[in-house]
Amino acid sequence: MKNFMMIFSGADYAALGLSPEELQGRMGKWFAWGNKMEQAGVLRGGEALTPQIRRIVGENRTVTDLASAEVKEIIGGYYTVEAKDFDAVQDIAQDFPDYDLGGTVEIREIMVFDK
Amino acid sequence: MELKNIDHLFRHHSGKMVSVLTRIFGLNHLEIIEDAVQDTFIKASISWRAQQPEHPEAWLTKAAKNRVIDIFRKLQTEKNQIPNLTHGTQAIAINELFLDTEIEDAQLRMIFAACHPELDARDRISFALKTVSGFSIKEISSALLTKEETIKKRLTRARKAIKKADLKFNIPQGKMLQDRLESVMEVLYLIFNEGFHSNSKQQLIRTDLCGEAMRLCKLLLKRDTMRIPEVYALLALMCFHSARLDAKINSENELLDLKHQDRSLWHFPLIELGNIMMNKAVDTDDFSCYHFEAAIAAEHLKAKSFENTNWDKLLYWYESLNTLQPTPSHVLTMAVICMQKEDLHKADYYFKQIEPDVFAQRTYLYYAAKADYFYATGKMKEALVYIDHALKTVNNSLERNFLEKKKASWVNQK
Repeated sequence: MKNFMMIFSGADYAALGLSPEELQGRMGKWFAWGNKMEQAGVLRGGEALTPQIRRIVGENRTVTDLASAEVKEIIGGYYTVEAKDFDAVQDIAQDFPDYDLGGTVEIREIMVFDK
Repeated sequence: MELKNIDHLFRHHSGKMVSVLTRIFGLNHLEIIEDAVQDTFIKASISWRAQQPEHPEAWLTKAAKNRVIDIFRKLQTEKNQIPNLTHGTQAIAINELFLDTEIEDAQLRMIFAACHPELDARDRISFALKTVSGFSIKEISSALLTKEETIKKRLTRARKAIKKADLKFNIPQGKMLQDRLESVMEVLYLIFNEGFHSNSKQQLIRTDLCGEAMRLCKLLLKRDTMRIPEVYALLALMCFHSARLDAKINSENELLDLKHQDRSLWHFPLIELGNIMMNKAVDTDDFSCYHFEAAIAAEHLKAKSFENTNWDKLLYWYESLNTLQPTPSHVLTMAVICMQKEDLHKADYYFKQIEPDVFAQRTYLYYAAKADYFYATGKMKEALVYIDHALKTVNNSLERNFLEKKKASWVNQK
C-alpha cells in the first residue's frame, strides 16, 4: 500500500457567492465523503485551508499578500489516503463534491525514501 | 451526527443572525453584516466537514456573537457612526439579544423593515427573501423567475430606500401596527403565491417559498398583538393551499387541475392546522379577503371528489370575495363555477362582465374558460377557435401541455 495526497483546487466558496442553503448541502456531501473514506479505512489525514495567501518569491524574497480572487486556482485543502495505486485513488476521488463548481482534484503520491 | 434532520439550518440561521446583528448595528450597516454572516457559514461549511458540533445551533449563535466584535472593529476602522458596545451594561445587553425570544423579536423587526411602505412593492419580496429568509441572489432569481441582475437592482434600491428614509429597526405599535401588518401580510402572501403558482419545473422552489411564507406567518402569531383574525386567516389559507402542493404535479411533472388531482395525496396534518387557524380567524365577524380565500380553499378540500364540490357554496364565497375586492379573475372563476353547475346562462352573465385584455399575461385563462363554455354549449367550432387563442397566449409549458391534451381530445370527438 502507498500513501497519496488528493489536493483540491478551484471552487472557492466565498468567490462563488453560495447561499447558506447551498453551503449546508455542500457540507453534507463532504461529510458523507469523509465518512465513506473513514469507514473504508483509507483516510490518513487532511486539512482545509483559509483563503489568505502570503507569497514569497525570488532571491529578493519579495512578499505579496493575495486574496483568493487574485489567484487563478486557489488550493482549498487536501486529504491523505492509503491506496494500492493511482487508479484506486481516482475511484475514491469520484465522490469529491465540488466538480460542478469547477473544482479540481490532483492526485500525488507521497514519496517514500529508502531507509 | 448528520445534519439532515435539521433542514434549512443554515438558511434559517442566516436570517436570524442578520436580524440580531442589525438590531445591534442598525440597518445602515446591513451590507457589512450580511458579508460577515456569509463568511460565518462558509467557515462552518468547511470546518464541519470532518466533525460537526454537538449543538450546531448553539455553535452558530456563538459564531454570530463573535461577529459582533469583528463588525465593530471593521466599522471602527471605517470611522463610521457606531454604537458604543464596550461598556459593561451594554455588553450584557448584547448577550441578551442572542436569547431565543430576542432573536425572534429581531426577526420580526426585519420583517417589518422589509415590508415597509417606503420600499417599492416589487423590492419588498426580494429584500425579505434575502435578509429575513437567507436566500442568495441566485436563489431569489430562480424562485421568482427573474434575472439575477434585476434582483440585484431591487436589493440595491431597497437598501437605498432604507437609508434615505432612515428606517428605524423596530416593531410598530398601536394604530401603526395594523397598517404595517397589512403590508407584511401582503408580502407574505405574495411570497407564498410565487411558490404556489410557480412556473418553475422544480418542485423544490414551490415548497421552499410556500414553507418560508408559512414560517414567517407563524412568527407573526407568536406575538400577542399580532394574533388578529386576519393573520390567522392568512395562515389558514396557506395551510389549505399547501396541503395540495404535492398533488398539483404528477409523476411526469405535469400540472394537474383540481379535477385530476389525486386527493389521497393531500396532506391532512396541514388541513387540520388550517382548520384550527380558521376557527381562531372567525372569532369576530370582521372578514378579510384572506378569510374568504381560505373559505374557498377549504371548500375544495371538503369535497370528496371534484364532482362532489359544493359549487353553490363556492360561488357564494367568490361573490363575497368579489364584493370586498372586485377583480376580473374572480368574475372569471365565477363563470367557471357556473359551468360546473351546468348553469350556462349564469356563466354567460359573468363572461359578459369581463374582457380578455384585463388578464394581461394570463389571458389564456380567459380563452381556455371561454373554450370550455363553447364546448359545453355544443359549439365545437368556436370552442376550437378559443382554445387556439389560449394556446397562442399561454407561456407556461405545463399549462400548454394541459391545453393541448384537451384540444386533442376535442378534435378526436369531432
